Amino acid sequence: MPITRRQLLCRAGVLAGVLAAGCTPLRMAFRPSPGQLHGEGGTADRVLAAFVRTVAPRAAGSTEDLVRVFDDPQYPFAPYRAFFASDLCRRAEDCFGATRFDSLTAEARARIVEDGLHGDAVARRLYGGAIFLAQVAVYAGIYDDVRGGRAINFDGANNGFAPEALTYPVPEWYLPAASSLDGNPN
Amino acid sequence: MRVVKTDVLIVGSGFGAAAPALRLSQAGHQVIVVEKGPRIDPFRDFRQTQDPAYIRRYLKGLSGERINLTYAEALGGGSGFYEMVSLRAPSAAFRQTDTRGRRLWPKTVDRAALDPWYDLAETMLHVEQIAPADVPKTGLVFARMMRELGYSCDRARYAVRGCVGSGFCVTGCVFAAKQSLLLNYLPQAEAAGAEIRTSLEAVSIRPLTDDREAPLRGSLRVIPCRYEVRCRPTQGSGEGVVFRARLVVLGGGTVGTAGLLLRSKREMPLLGRHVGGHVAFNGSVKAAGILPERLPDGDLFTGRSHPGMISYEFLESHGVTISAVKPLPLQLMAGARLIPEGGDPSRDWWGERHAAFLGQIRTRLMILYAIGMTPPAARITLDKEGHPHVHLQVDGALSTYAQSVKQLLESILRRSGCRLVHADLVRADGTPYSDLHFFTTHQVGSCRMADDPDRGVVDPSGEVFRYPGLYVTDGAVIPSSLAVNNSLTILANAERIAAGIVARHSAGAAVASAEAEGSRSHVAARP
Repeated sequence: MPITRRQLLCRAGVLAGVLAAGCTPLRMAFRPSPGQLHGEGGTADRVLAAFVRTVAPRAAGSTEDLVRVFDDPQYPFAPYRAFFASDLCRRAEDCFGATRFDSLTAEARARIVEDGLHGDAVARRLYGGAIFLAQVAVYAGIYDDVRGGRAINFDGANNGFAPEALTYPVPEWYLPAASSLDGNPN
Repeated sequence: MRVVKTDVLIVGSGFGAAAPALRLSQAGHQVIVVEKGPRIDPFRDFRQTQDPAYIRRYLKGLSGERINLTYAEALGGGSGFYEMVSLRAPSAAFRQTDTRGRRLWPKTVDRAALDPWYDLAETMLHVEQIAPADVPKTGLVFARMMRELGYSCDRARYAVRGCVGSGFCVTGCVFAAKQSLLLNYLPQAEAAGAEIRTSLEAVSIRPLTDDREAPLRGSLRVIPCRYEVRCRPTQGSGEGVVFRARLVVLGGGTVGTAGLLLRSKREMPLLGRHVGGHVAFNGSVKAAGILPERLPDGDLFTGRSHPGMISYEFLESHGVTISAVKPLPLQLMAGARLIPEGGDPSRDWWGERHAAFLGQIRTRLMILYAIGMTPPAARITLDKEGHPHVHLQVDGALSTYAQSVKQLLESILRRSGCRLVHADLVRADGTPYSDLHFFTTHQVGSCRMADDPDRGVVDPSGEVFRYPGLYVTDGAVIPSSLAVNNSLTILANAERIAAGIVARHSAGAAVASAEAEGSRSHVAARP
């Protein structure tokens, strides 16, 4: 029996919805803040901190310090924060049968991150962006002027350095011929 | 809106604006400076930080097609945040031509013409060549690499007194050692009577007269106000101001000045088609490598931001100068995905192996940076909301340039025994660019100087064609890439233009200086 145009459009819409349901954007729309991460104070934070320790293993500091970048209004990640934490847990369950990403070993967590980076386009962007933010926060030490970025031996704020820290004796060993007398070739 | 009358209104307070502010004030003219960004106290407001909120307060980005521009919006413009490298542009920069073989610079403006003004600018900023005993470790190691390959390398010149090597030049020197304009030109201008108003943005310019024939000369007191500049506050909900000025000097930078003139085109229909065009950008190319064991450690994070050495060896052959780079970690992390040669590009930019690699970069990573005489191929336009947008036309020549310079840098690294490090340049969200993309803080030329209005926006004296009394003195007038940091050339050229304005309008002046007269020949030829 022929179907009406309205029925065709309706079925096509349902089909499109079913096809899209496996994709990240729709999951984000339907599950922006899944129940498993509600009512458990700090669960999302612990998941995200584990993520940071996975992608930047030398990260130090409290859970609060490690996840601060994901809420920072300077960066656009906050709306995706809860979804991202739940997506890590979902992948942990799919891959390892674990309910929580932060309960996995470092190796297993790295597998989950790789899984996300090989997901659909939105997942790739989400995971790539989260890694980028974690690295900026951890290695650049953006939240602690004094500590700097210890993971890469960056001193942070300082009062200057002694000459032996700044340069080497016998600069003549290093310096080649110059093209000018004063540093301003014509 | 309140209406304020003044002899001279200067828009901006950076390298292009500070010289006219000082010289015109010293000449006894009533000068008001408006600056879009906030006031900065160089003894109190700078921080040794990588806090993005702090950095974004002063440094702005314009992300466009194939090119990103970074510029400052603050009192003193970029001078508070630059690396204090202060070099004269080599003569080769002034000899550059366009695709039709025409010289990019006006006939009367070259290295020799600018040298006296470079002298003056260097004196004002206390510019000195770095002593051999002060060259930072990374600079020395770079120099050693060049020496072993038989290449020359020069000690660079800096605007600094009493550098302690804290390494935070680009977030503002908390020791007030770096000679930003906040320590010389601007306080001296205020002492000479200039009034500086910050957090006030010039929105549009309108001529108050249709008289475009007579070149302006003589005492400013007998010249009526010729331009009206509408300004709005950028902080708080204060009242806007309308300035009426006898002369207006635009020094808001390559982006700011182009934006202002583009927004004013309806009121200034004779501005011509070159506004916003011909943006040059010192096309930068980078390559990185891990030092071989035989070479001593560098130090990316200690000592002045620019590591002290620059090589002109490849200026003639490749059109570039080469330096080493000492980025702050934030610049490094936010700029590129670093993957050592032989690593897995899909995996080794995060995780344990990446962390181990980053653990050695402070002392063992050598980043080479070439800046070159790339053509003025970018353009600034306005979107529907009046915000600036930039796009770069990448042609085969530019692609070839980028490829050949990259090969040159990698060759230097390889022949020095370095293990190359692959660097994927990334967007603000961390995703890599797939196409050739340039990043620069060296943009110039959106309102370039030219010998005639068919080729540019201002004449060699800095005056806008067909709009007497309206000057541009900032990087926007510089017609070409320079292959060295721009700040000293912008300042020297602004000093030159300011001297011309002063000569033209000194009390009782009937004729301009010979220099200014010669460069203003087009005025007499106007119909």
